[in-house]
Amino acid sequence: MSDAPRPAGPRFWITAAAGWALIGWGVYGIVSNSLDTRPADLARFVVGGALLHDLLVAPLAIVAGVLVARAVPTPARAPVQAALAVSAIVALFAWPLVRAYGLAAGNPTSLPHNYGRNLLVVLGVVWAVAGGAVILRLKRAG
Amino acid sequence: MSVRLPEPLQRLTTDPDAPLRQGAYRSALRDERVAAILGAALGVLFSICFVTGLYSHIQQNPVSWLPIRPRPAGLYRFTQGLHVAAGIASVPVLLAKLWVVWPRFVSFPVARRLSGLVERIGLFPLVAGGIFMTFSGVANVAQWYPWRFSFTASHYWMAWVTMGSIVAHAGAKWAIARRTLARPSRRPALADADPELGTSAEAEKGAGGGLTRRGLLTTVAAASGVLTLTTIGQTVRPLRRLGLLAPRDPATGPQGRPVNRGAVNAGVVDLAQSPSYRLEVTGRVARPLALDMKDLRAMPAHDTVLPIACVEGWSFSAPWSGVRIRDLLAMAGAEPDRTILIESLEPRGAYRTSTLNPDQAADRDTLLALDLDGETLALDHGYPCRLIAPNRPGVLQTKWVNRVVVL
Repeated sequence: MSDAPRPAGPRFWITAAAGWALIGWGVYGIVSNSLDTRPADLARFVVGGALLHDLLVAPLAIVAGVLVARAVPTPARAPVQAALAVSAIVALFAWPLVRAYGLAAGNPTSLPHNYGRNLLVVLGVVWAVAGGAVILRLKRAG
Repeated sequence: MSVRLPEPLQRLTTDPDAPLRQGAYRSALRDERVAAILGAALGVLFSICFVTGLYSHIQQNPVSWLPIRPRPAGLYRFTQGLHVAAGIASVPVLLAKLWVVWPRFVSFPVARRLSGLVERIGLFPLVAGGIFMTFSGVANVAQWYPWRFSFTASHYWMAWVTMGSIVAHAGAKWAIARRTLARPSRRPALADADPELGTSAEAEKGAGGGLTRRGLLTTVAAASGVLTLTTIGQTVRPLRRLGLLAPRDPATGPQGRPVNRGAVNAGVVDLAQSPSYRLEVTGRVARPLALDMKDLRAMPAHDTVLPIACVEGWSFSAPWSGVRIRDLLAMAGAEPDRTILIESLEPRGAYRTSTLNPDQAADRDTLLALDLDGETLALDHGYPCRLIAPNRPGVLQTKWVNRVVVL
């Protein structure tokens, strides 16, 4: 949002008008279907999600990046950064499955796998690939 | 408004371009080009989700001006599998995009002109909407509901908010994104232009040794790839064995097939097995019917292979056998071209009924199935009979059917 060097043109204002019309339609839908959408509860999750990301997740990711840059020696740095990022995202995605938050009683087909073990398998593969990349880099370096 | 911040933060936040200038953050990754590529990828993924999501919405909330066609039979299986897959694949892209542009969220001044202010205010629904849509979708797929609102209604209406923000943001960023994306991806080596500068710059890069911009994009693609490969097996059968993190397995369940709601949870165990069970065909008919299992078995049986495609992105295709809806309607002397209401024995629940439009009801493969895989339908799959029709979400393939009403 560094403002454009030149004043905004018609494309900016047309898409802004169209975009805000759609946003307005969505907000109208939320408010007029309040029995289903429960606007106060929904707002808690919408605003809370953004705040949680901006004030906690993003700063943590930046701190983790700085720490890795300082602690990990050069040939391993990029593979470790990549593997850490992939691991964190996969673990975040898999967490509700691992903890079985959504397990439906009386439905044997709900969450049929051992997700804790499977997550470890996936992370194992990710770090094996990262390890391979480090070895490759060491060989290339000399 | 003047806020005093610690000096480094002050410097960071008063120069909105600082984060995107190489070196300012000791990270060359917060770069316009990376932001544009990730933004374009997100735009495509979210648009896929929006369009397939609208299709799923009108499947479940029919509109008269765009009736759902029964063909192609596997269309919904494809669109909804794509919806969930694109949503899951967008998780790493969204997180990376937010990571790249995050310093801009805390930059001051907020804006220097009206357009900048409008753009900046629009970032809130954009970021909050993107996070909400992916979080609520991923949680729903894991059948985790940590909230009290209705998932379908809220996910649907928030999609308009999110898509609107994307339209406004795409318009605001169009020129700059086009400019950066049009630039050749490989800039000439600095050493070619200025040997001295080039050497020092490249030496510095070697000392950093962290992810390059290409490395960051590869990492994002790898993360999306891992999530896709380990979940897509819930709908793409040949990849079933890779579905380590898939919330469903298309081969686990009664009769080797998953269900979303079993007979116990639906509260139909006794009703469905009662000897007094009758299938009624009523409404605008000349001869109302009440058929017991023997009558249904005596009617001409039709075989078909059709998918159950859940809104949650899992699916399986299976051979079904049963009575055609159109045969039942003919037998009862139903008025032609009417909407048909299918009712379940379920005492309550949002999906205890569904409707068939005239095209769907007349389709040769729209059945009340009695058999699955050549065996009597399991209780969890809808015994005594269930609706199975082409191109239809699983939640509308009503189970434990006891009434067919011609509206």
